[in-house]
Amino acid sequence: MDACWIALLPLLPLLAAVLIGGLHFFNFISGEPDEAVTSRISLTAIGLAALLAIALQIAGFYGQLAEQHVLGNWLNSGRFNITVSFRSSGFNLSLAALFSVLLLIVMRFSVNYLHREAGFHRFFFILNLFAAAMLLLVLAGNAVLTFAGWELAGVCSYWLIAYAYDRPIAAHNATRGFVTNRVGDGGFLLGIALSLIWLESADWQIINQSATDLTPGDATLLALCFALAAFAKSAQVPFTPWLARAMEGPTPSSAIFYGGVMVHGGVFLLIQLQALFTQAPLVMLLLTAMGGVTAVYSYWAGLSQTDIKSSQVYACSAQLGLMFLECGLGYWQLAAWHLCAHAVVRCYLLLTAPSILHATHGQPIRPVPQGWADCRWAFVISLQRGWLEPALDWMLVKPVQQLAKDMRNIDDRIIDPIMGIPAPAIKSISSLAQWEEQKLGAKLDNDMDSFARGSGLAGKLAQWTAALMSWFEYRFILRGIGRDSISWGRRLGRHANRFEHLLLSPRYLILFVLITLMVALGYAP
Amino acid sequence: MAILSALLWTPALGVLLLAPISGQRHGLIRQISLAATAGAFLLACYLLFSFNAADSAMQFSEFYPLNPKLGSAYALGVDGLSMPMLVLATLLSSIALLASFSIREGVKGYHICVLLLEFGMLGVFMAQDWALFYIFWEVTLIPLFFLIDRWGGKRRHAASLNFVLYTMGGSVFMLLSLLAISQYDLEHQGSMMASMGQAAQSMPVLEQVLVLLGFLLGFGVKMPIFPLHGWLPLAHVEAPSPISILLSGILLKMGAYGLLRTVVMLPVAAQLLQPVLLFLALFGMIYGGLLAWRQRDLKAMVAYASLSHMGLVLLGIATLNQTGFSGAILQMTAHGLIAGGLFLLVGLLYERTHTRNILDYSSLVQVMPRFATFTTLTLLAAMGLPGSVGFISELHTLIGGFQQWGGLMVFFSLSILISAAYAMRTIGLLFTGPVKPQMQRIADLKPVEMMASGLLVGCIVLFGLLPAPLIELSTATVSRMMVVIGERLP
Repeated sequence: MDACWIALLPLLPLLAAVLIGGLHFFNFISGEPDEAVTSRISLTAIGLAALLAIALQIAGFYGQLAEQHVLGNWLNSGRFNITVSFRSSGFNLSLAALFSVLLLIVMRFSVNYLHREAGFHRFFFILNLFAAAMLLLVLAGNAVLTFAGWELAGVCSYWLIAYAYDRPIAAHNATRGFVTNRVGDGGFLLGIALSLIWLESADWQIINQSATDLTPGDATLLALCFALAAFAKSAQVPFTPWLARAMEGPTPSSAIFYGGVMVHGGVFLLIQLQALFTQAPLVMLLLTAMGGVTAVYSYWAGLSQTDIKSSQVYACSAQLGLMFLECGLGYWQLAAWHLCAHAVVRCYLLLTAPSILHATHGQPIRPVPQGWADCRWAFVISLQRGWLEPALDWMLVKPVQQLAKDMRNIDDRIIDPIMGIPAPAIKSISSLAQWEEQKLGAKLDNDMDSFARGSGLAGKLAQWTAALMSWFEYRFILRGIGRDSISWGRRLGRHANRFEHLLLSPRYLILFVLITLMVALGYAP
Repeated sequence: MAILSALLWTPALGVLLLAPISGQRHGLIRQISLAATAGAFLLACYLLFSFNAADSAMQFSEFYPLNPKLGSAYALGVDGLSMPMLVLATLLSSIALLASFSIREGVKGYHICVLLLEFGMLGVFMAQDWALFYIFWEVTLIPLFFLIDRWGGKRRHAASLNFVLYTMGGSVFMLLSLLAISQYDLEHQGSMMASMGQAAQSMPVLEQVLVLLGFLLGFGVKMPIFPLHGWLPLAHVEAPSPISILLSGILLKMGAYGLLRTVVMLPVAAQLLQPVLLFLALFGMIYGGLLAWRQRDLKAMVAYASLSHMGLVLLGIATLNQTGFSGAILQMTAHGLIAGGLFLLVGLLYERTHTRNILDYSSLVQVMPRFATFTTLTLLAAMGLPGSVGFISELHTLIGGFQQWGGLMVFFSLSILISAAYAMRTIGLLFTGPVKPQMQRIADLKPVEMMASGLLVGCIVLFGLLPAPLIELSTATVSRMMVVIGERLP
C-alpha cells in the first residue's frame, strides 16, 4: 500500500503533464482563456504531491514506512531483472518533499509570470513533466529508474532553455547544454552496465551493500562512472559553462532547474552512493579536487559578471563545488544539509532576481578589494571565464567535427559510388520541393528512367540481376511452362482429333471390321 | 460436442441456404454469406479460447471411420499448427466478403463459390486423415477456378486454366506419394495421418526421398516454391481482389502447412534434401524480391513479394529446428495478415482509380490519409519492421537459420534489403511526390473498408508488439514435432 502512495508522487505530475499535453494537442485548451485550466491542473497535481510527500515524511518519521517498496517487474532479460521499486529512506523522501514544495511555489509563481505568454501551456506541460522526472529521480530504488528520471529531466531542461526556440541563440544554448549533459549520461549508463555485470543488480541498496565486495580497482571505476554523471549534471569543472548558457529560459524555469532542483541531482547521486564512494578513495580525492577547483573558478568568474542571472549562476556553481568538496572529504551529512539549504536559498534568489534588480536600481555593486582590482590578468581570466569553453571546443568539439568531415568525405567518394546514392530527399519526401523542381524543368522525377533502376555499384548489380531474373521468369516460367504448355496441349489435342476423325472415316472403319473378322476367323478353328 | 464439425460445416450450411434464393436478391445473399463467414469466425474464436496451448496433442478430435478396409476416416483435429491457420482462414474469409461489395454480376454464384472455398480450406487445416486432406485439397480447386474464370480480369481464362493445370499437376505427385506410403503396412489405429507417419518409417531411404520429392512438388506448387510459381503472378493479378486476399492469405499457407506435416513425417529424407530446400528458399526469396522490385503493377508486385515471403516459410521449415519451425509458423500467420491486407488495400485503390500502375499514382496522402496510414503500416510490416508481426517471424526464422547454417544467412538479409527497397519505393511513389490532378478526387476509405483493413492492420501491429500469445499458441506443438523428428532420425 505504501508503495502505491510513493508511486503517486511522480505519477501525479506525470498525469497532469499528459492531461495538459493531450488537451493542448487536441486543441481543447489553447491561448489565454484556458490558462486557468492549465494552471489549476498543474497546481492541484503538484500540491497533492507535496502534501503526500509531507504526509509520508511524517509517517516515515514515526517509523511507519518501509525502506524499500517494490511495485513489480519492469525489465527481465536473462539474469538481469529490473524492478519498479522506490526508496523511502529518510534522505530520499525529505528531498522529495522539499523538491515538491519548491516546485509548487515555482509553479504558482509561473502562473502570474507567464500570463499571456504564447507558450503558456507548453511551459506548464514541460514543468509538470520535469516535476515527475525529478521526483522519480530522487525516489527511484534502482539506477535504471533513476536514469529514466535523470534523462527526462535533461530533456525538459533542453526544452525550457529553448523555450524561445525561434531565437537561434536559445536553440544553440539548449543544444550545448544538452550535449554537455550527455557526456555525463554516458558515465551513468556505463555505471549501470558495470553494476549489472559485476553485481548483477542495479539496485541502489545492493550497489551500496556489495561495494565492499568489489576489488578496489572495480570500485574505483564504478564510482568514477557515477562521478562523471554527477560532474556533468551539477556543472563541475570542466562542465561548468553549460550552466551559464542555461539561463536562456524563462526566470521561473531557471530558478527551479538551475537554482533549486536539477543541478543538485549530481550531489544527490553522490550522497545516494556514499558507501560506494568510501570504497574508492581515489575518486573521493578527485571529488575534493574538482569541487575545490569549481568553487574557486566559479567565484573568480563570478567576480566580473555584471548581470544578475550570471552572477547567480556562478554563485550557484561555487556552492555546488563546495558540496562536492564536502562529499570528497566525507562530510556526507553536511553536504546533504548544504544541498537542502542551498536549494531553498538559490531558488528564492533566482525567483526574486528581477525584483532585486528593481530594488537595488541605481546602487553600485560592491567593488572587489583594491589589491585584486589591480590584478589585470586575473580580471581578463575572469572576464573570459577561464577560457574553459574555447579550450573544451578545441579539445573535443573540433576533433569530432573534423572526424565527421572525414567520414563525410569517405561517404561521398567511396561509399556512395559503390552502394548508390540515396534517393534525393526532394524526390520522395517533399511534394512541394519536387513540384518546384518540375516547374524549373529539372526532370528529376522522370518516371521511365527512375523506376526499378539503381545507382552505384550495388544498385546496378541489383538492377541487372533483376533484369536477368525477369527475362528468365517471362521466357521460361510464364511463357515456357504457362503459355507454351497450353498451346502444346492444344496442338496435341488437334492431332488426336485428326487421328480420331481418320479412324472414324468409312474406309478405315471397314478395314478394321475386316481385320477383326480375319482375326476371329483365324482363331475360330 | 463436435465443435470442429460445426465450424467446418458452417460455410457449407451457408451454401445450402443460398441455393434456393433468387439470384436477384443481392442484399439477402450478401447477408446470408456474411452471416455464415462471421459465424465461422466466431466459432473459430471460441475454439481459440478453449484451445489449450500447453497441450501438444490433437485437440477436439473427431473420428468416424469411413472406409475401414482402407483405414480412411472422417478424422478432424487441431493442434498448435492448424489453430492459427483456422482463425486466419475464417478472418480473411469474412474480410474478403466485406471487400466484395463491388462484385455486382453473378452475386449468388460468387458467394456460393467463396463459401465453398472456405469450406475446403477449413477442411484442409482440420483433416487428420490424408484421404480426407486430399479431398478437401481438391475441393478448394473447383470454386477457385470459377472465381478466377468468371469474375477475374482481362486474361482470366488463361489465368484460371494455368492455375488449375499447375495445381492438378502438383496434386498428382502428391497423390502418388500418398499411395506410395499406403503400400506399406498401415497399423489402422488412430487417424490415417498418424498411422501413415508410422508406416513411412519402414520405407527404404531412397523411397522416402522420392516420396518427399513428390510432396515437395505437390505442396510446392501451392506454396509456391521458386520454379513452380508460374501460376502465381497471373492468378493473383487476374483474380478479383477479394479472391486475391484468400489466395495469398490462406491458400498459399495450405502448401506450407502440408509441407510442414510431411517434413515431420519424413525427417530422414528432409535432412537429405536440406541443402536443396535451403537453396530453393534463399533463391526464391531473392528472386521474388527482385521481380517484385521490377513490377509496375501493384498486384503483381504483391504477388512476387508473396513468393519472396513464402520462401521465408520454406527456409524456416528447412532448418528442421525449433526456432526455425516457430518462425515458419509465425511467418505463415504474418504473411496471411500482411499479404491479405495489401491485396485488400490495393483492391480498394483499384476500385477507385481503375489503374494498378504504380507510376500513375502520386501524393495520395493528401486525399486519402487513412488509406495511406494503413498501406504504409502494412508495407512496413512486409519489410519486417520491428513493431510489426513480420519482424517477429523474420527474426525467428533468421535465428533458426543461423543456428543451422551460420553465415549463409547473409542472403536472407539481402532479401530483406530488397524487400525494403520495393516497400519504401512503393510508399514513396504512392503517397508523396507532385500533385497529379487526376489523383485529386479519390474518396478515402469508407467505414466498412476501414473496419476490414483496420482489423488486419490492428492484428499486424498488435502481434508485433505483443507476440507472446501467438508464439505460445504453437510452441508446444513445435516441441512435439521436434521430439518426433528426433525419434525418427537415426
